[in-house]
Amino acid sequence: MADRRRRWCATLAGLALAAGLPNVLAAEAVSPDAGDPRPNIVFILADDLGFTDIAPFGSEVQTPTLSAFAETGVRFTNYHTAANCAPARAMLLTGVNNHLAGVPNIPEMLAPEQRRHAHYQGVLGDNVVTVATLLEDAGYHTYMAGKWHLGASADKRPSRRGFSRTVALMDSGADNWEQRPYLPLYDRANWFADGEPTTLPEDFYSSRFLIDKTIEFIDSNLQDGKPFFAYIPFMAVHMPVQAPQAFTDRYSGVYDGGWDELRRARLQRAIALGIVPPQTALQWMESRGDWDALTADRRRYEAKRMAVYAGMIEAMDFHIGRLVDYLRAHGEYANTVFIFTSDNGSEGSGPADQEALSSRFGAAMMGYHVDYERLGLQGSYNTISPGFASAAASPLAFYKFYTGEGGMRVPLIIAGDLLPRHNTLTPAFAWATDITPTILSLTGTPLPGARYAGKPVQPITGRDLTPLLTGERERVYAEHDAVGYELTGHAALFQGDYKLVLNRPPLGDGQWRLYNIVSDPGEVVDLAAQQPDRFRAMQLRYQRFQAENGVLPLPPGYSQMGQLLTNTVKARYADALGVLLVSLLVLLPFYVAYRMRRSAPR
Amino acid sequence: MPITQNALRVLVLVPALLFIVTGVRWLIAPAGVAPMLGLTLEEGIGLSSQIGDLAGFFLTLGACMLIALISGRRLWYYPAIMLLAFAAVGRVLAWLLHDAALALQLIAPEVIIALLLLVAARYLPEAD
Repeated sequence: MADRRRRWCATLAGLALAAGLPNVLAAEAVSPDAGDPRPNIVFILADDLGFTDIAPFGSEVQTPTLSAFAETGVRFTNYHTAANCAPARAMLLTGVNNHLAGVPNIPEMLAPEQRRHAHYQGVLGDNVVTVATLLEDAGYHTYMAGKWHLGASADKRPSRRGFSRTVALMDSGADNWEQRPYLPLYDRANWFADGEPTTLPEDFYSSRFLIDKTIEFIDSNLQDGKPFFAYIPFMAVHMPVQAPQAFTDRYSGVYDGGWDELRRARLQRAIALGIVPPQTALQWMESRGDWDALTADRRRYEAKRMAVYAGMIEAMDFHIGRLVDYLRAHGEYANTVFIFTSDNGSEGSGPADQEALSSRFGAAMMGYHVDYERLGLQGSYNTISPGFASAAASPLAFYKFYTGEGGMRVPLIIAGDLLPRHNTLTPAFAWATDITPTILSLTGTPLPGARYAGKPVQPITGRDLTPLLTGERERVYAEHDAVGYELTGHAALFQGDYKLVLNRPPLGDGQWRLYNIVSDPGEVVDLAAQQPDRFRAMQLRYQRFQAENGVLPLPPGYSQMGQLLTNTVKARYADALGVLLVSLLVLLPFYVAYRMRRSAPR
Repeated sequence: MPITQNALRVLVLVPALLFIVTGVRWLIAPAGVAPMLGLTLEEGIGLSSQIGDLAGFFLTLGACMLIALISGRRLWYYPAIMLLAFAAVGRVLAWLLHDAALALQLIAPEVIIALLLLVAARYLPEAD
């Protein structure tokens, strides 16, 4: 009976959504007698997933669950996010620009000069409210299972940021098969459950485990009739790229044609699906290397690296499917909205040759191997090469960490039976900060404004995307609205159909460029010379964005990977290095005195 | 062997002259040389310390190296070695203890030249 009542209310909600009145509906429909009609929200976040890495966006990787989402919802083909992890998560969960939310970059890449500023700590500030807090206060159950990476101290953990039940990884990544770190920066993989350190089970595989925990959380409160918000930030497909053998085997031989062939094939499928315009052209990243110049053994190895990557994506999809099955079996599916996206574009930082001595040595230093036969299994440290990472982002240019479209444009699907538009594409611009206001709108939860719980907070600047879900409007950003973004000097400003962009070395040239990213998502035709007025106006608007959001100039000599390396050395070896240097200071005068005594004329 | 020794002398002479020039620049045009060390010029006592101490450092460094080369007295290499080694160690400790930037572009030349001077002190012949 309760289930029927819930379905009825959900149907009402769907009708109201179709009328473009989601907030009003949800607020009016809540009644203790009628049960809580507000929809459940399942927010699924992949890690480092490229623009065409899933089937509904043009991938050859089989993702039937995500394809089913696409059939019951709206695919956003012009959705953008931050170019790396924590800044994206900060915007997704707060609706506030990442600089204002205290996360201009991941803490692992912040320079000491930047850390002197309160908003450059790389952890979620206390000046923002998460969507989880807002939903929890509105009566939702709030669950999280996956990677957090927005602060590991007690007051920053997800259990203190609105999630009532959590199992969360605090680091930028970790092994998918066991509890071990993937970078020497960490001495362990820092997993926490409900705010306390925890130990992973023996049979751990990340995607399976995260869905198991999500189902466990949902199941524990299923009977009380309250809706839930489940946030599932997967570790897939962040490095180390690892997948169960059965999933990898499905892609044996699929990538034998190399990355250029794959990049072209994905472009054609994306055109056929309507994800990008028919005239879309490609840039070819020099970093991708020459497939034809590889030996047969190298090609075989590279194809397997990518097969593991594809297997990891399909494994993620398979386990999302288990959650969907669970929700169907328990009568919750029809009243659930699914949001699927990625934190940033594909990762192009993997070594071109994973079997090279330096790569083997790096993996061995952490107790990993890179053997072909066991690639992707427990103990294996796998990545994809820059070549296949470029194919993963096809037809876009650049990668994660860069402001090219390949780093910032990712798939977004918002789906659910109760949504009025099914199997729909929208080319409207959308931004990471839009997810929180959209969830709040879908659930009828008021936005926090400039104060929340008695203290000042950054107001939400994202836009509610529900008019695009209902078809009420074609775009939620007007032609003159501007959205700025900065990461370690890489910069972008979106305005209308245009994008002003600067990519710094090593892959960029540090020059401002102007593209029409609706007609030219591949960023091939630079319009700066053709449209000088727009070019200058957008540059001025970007300067305003910098000032309004406290974007700091880059420290001299800064590089992302160089800073990551020095921060790693400092974190792991500071004590030993300090003792060594002080010893040197003390002993040097004695050594010099000894040498002078020996050198002195007798 | 004389060719190797002469090459070593040239390798010592070049940085010695650069250090002397840097020291002189600190005395007569500090605004041009300060950015090379990541510095902005202070005012008042701060400016006095910057010009006085840094000119003293670089002139002493370069002078010790030149004296060692010209006199053939190897003892003179050691003050220069200590100045460079302490500077490099100090930079790393500044990074470790005080959140300064790890200035590898400055540390590396200091370490390399200090090692070069150690080699010179051991293998260049002592004057009679």
